[in-house]
Amino acid sequence: MLLLSAPFDPAALAPPRRPARAYAQVGGATALLVAAGLAIEWAGAAATGHALASGAAHGGLVALGWLIATDAATAWRGPVLRLGATLIAAAIAARLHPLGALGFLLVPGVLLLEAWRHPRLRAIGLAGAHPIHALAGLASGVFLGAHLLVTASRTLGYRLHGDGVAAYLAALAYDVGANALTAEWLFRGAVFSVLWRRWPFWPAALLTTALSLLRYLLDPALPHAAEARAGAVFYLGLVGLISCALRAWSGSLLPGYLAALAFFAAYRMFAP
Amino acid sequence: MIALPVALLAVVALVMAFADQGPASVLRHLYLVPTLWAALARGAVGGGLVGALAGLLHAPVALPAVERDGLTSQTLDGLLSLGLPILAGLLVGRLVDGSRARAARLAAVLAIQRRLDGPETLEAKLAGVARELRVALRARRLALLVGADVHTALLASVPVGTLVDADSGAAFALATGQHVTSTDLTADPRVRANESVGPTPLRALAVPLVSGAGVIGVMAVEWTGELSRATRAAAEELALHMGLAVENARLTLRQHRFAEELAEKVSAATARLRELDQAKTEFLSVVSHELRTPLTALQGFSELLLRSALPADRAQRCLVYLHTEACTLGRIVGELLDLSRIEAGRPLELRPEPVDLAGLIERNLEIFAAEHREHRFRWSAPGSEVALRADPDALDRMVKNLLSNAVKYSPRGGHVSVSACSAEDQPGMIELAVEDDGVGIPADQLPRIFDKYVRVPHPETATARGLGLGLSLVKALAEAHGGRVEVESLPGKGSRFRLLLPEANRDF
Repeated sequence: MLLLSAPFDPAALAPPRRPARAYAQVGGATALLVAAGLAIEWAGAAATGHALASGAAHGGLVALGWLIATDAATAWRGPVLRLGATLIAAAIAARLHPLGALGFLLVPGVLLLEAWRHPRLRAIGLAGAHPIHALAGLASGVFLGAHLLVTASRTLGYRLHGDGVAAYLAALAYDVGANALTAEWLFRGAVFSVLWRRWPFWPAALLTTALSLLRYLLDPALPHAAEARAGAVFYLGLVGLISCALRAWSGSLLPGYLAALAFFAAYRMFAP
Repeated sequence: MIALPVALLAVVALVMAFADQGPASVLRHLYLVPTLWAALARGAVGGGLVGALAGLLHAPVALPAVERDGLTSQTLDGLLSLGLPILAGLLVGRLVDGSRARAARLAAVLAIQRRLDGPETLEAKLAGVARELRVALRARRLALLVGADVHTALLASVPVGTLVDADSGAAFALATGQHVTSTDLTADPRVRANESVGPTPLRALAVPLVSGAGVIGVMAVEWTGELSRATRAAAEELALHMGLAVENARLTLRQHRFAEELAEKVSAATARLRELDQAKTEFLSVVSHELRTPLTALQGFSELLLRSALPADRAQRCLVYLHTEACTLGRIVGELLDLSRIEAGRPLELRPEPVDLAGLIERNLEIFAAEHREHRFRWSAPGSEVALRADPDALDRMVKNLLSNAVKYSPRGGHVSVSACSAEDQPGMIELAVEDDGVGIPADQLPRIFDKYVRVPHPETATARGLGLGLSLVKALAEAHGGRVEVESLPGKGSRFRLLLPEANRDF
């Protein structure tokens, strides 16, 4: 019992602040790559440029999560570069060939491989989950996804896409390797874990969800229609809160990740 | 327990879908049934969750109507029905949680009181209380440290086996009386934790246990995951109660100990009184016997002298016997008078004068040697003359009693050594020692042998005559002279009595 056995110094200071230099380097590199992608897109190679910008943005989110989770520990550049490169490569491959999106499926594996060498990352929930927890996550995502399908089709008249299975699967692969993965890794993993160590659950979960909503609202891929944005806020807010609750309940990111994947699997039926 | 309300919710949703009566259908109120059920069963979490599900299930009915008809009274009613179950579930759930928390706190207080009222030791009571508290507070680990100092404090922890560091957070709370709180012990910069940071924070709280006497201990609690404000308040409330309850338990234990000690003392005093009563009864019997023996002799010899014309030598012998028995009778009566004086609290009448100690001892040794031929008497005269000022009669009685005692308790004969000199270890005192190699005195009897009427039982000395007053009188007379008497003895090896009297130049 730490309160009895661990030495306690009431005057001890908090650890030094995370080095701003690491964040500046990650932010600068991400901005540079996104700008390069946009420039390439503007120059005419739209697919490649867009892919570079998208891959770099997701790479930046993963890198930011890594820095927060490891407190910008010394050996952060290698893993971050490898993960970023994998994401960019997968994004470009997905743009160049329909089967290229399968490259996104490599990202969780690479992330686990890198994280395996850093036991400290288990503190953000990078661990297996009890089957009941995983099932609860999956059920939550399925319910919200089904609810989205029913409500949107009844209310707004949205219809499911009957064709484009390959595009649907490519979008799913993108969610597996980039969209849902980076959201869970950064928000429910790094940000929520840090906040929850300082605050009670609800403030930490609400702020984390607000930040993740901001990320989606800034995403140019999100439809610009007002009802689509309102729906995104509602459903992604629910998904975010549910994922935070699952992360707190299970101690793992997996149930929330499965919930997000299930929800996006339904969402992609509308807009692959 | 939440599965049944969820199933009922699904049934209500299906009924609503098949009835298809629009957003303001009266059936929508049925959503409140599973919501309230869940709230009653699982509190705010259950009520809020099922309420949210009810709202979500009603959305595909209410929202298309809004899209289709705009904001009418019916569609507004339908929209309100989206939020009502959540609100009802949360409110009722919170009320349920609050009342359950209060009930749990009261149950914990009752359980603590029962544990502390038990007959066990304080350590055992604290262990039981720690278990109760851990369950009541739903804590991962809980410890109670009771005492003013961390090194001597009693520790009860669940799970058991934790050691206390003198620099720990609990020790700090005990020493300063301050609360120690941490939102995550494993990542707290004030704590040098040897546990790695886990995916779930380790919340902690160390609350001082305070009674009227100040800080009497600390309750240390660790939780994994969420620590609600209500749980923290409950912990502080229970710690407050614990402080008073532990103090009461300590006072009760102290009272029990005092009562037991008192009972032991009363029991010992009663036993002593019984012994004294028994000794007095025996004393009366012995006195009767001791008085009757010389009286019988006096009566017999005097009758013989009165009734018979005895030859002169035989009459002379009878007169010697009469004299001896009269002296014995006089000695017994003297002892009884001294005893009566001591018991009445009156001082013994002493007439101190310079005494020739060696001469007095030698005279007595001659008498005893003549009477007890099976004993060998050895006298170690002092190297130089000892100056002693004492009552000669009292000193004579002391010497006679010590010699009589030595002879009496070496029934098979043996050596009796007498010495007199200045006491080396007691400056200003004269030492007179009488040593025998008789039956000795058991260690448990030594403290009692100077008491009145006490005769140390021994099979070999059961027939010895005596009132059990000799040593008591020696002690009283020695103290009246400003001295004292000591004894050393080993059973089977003999005894050594040491009479210490002040030298002539000292007053008593």
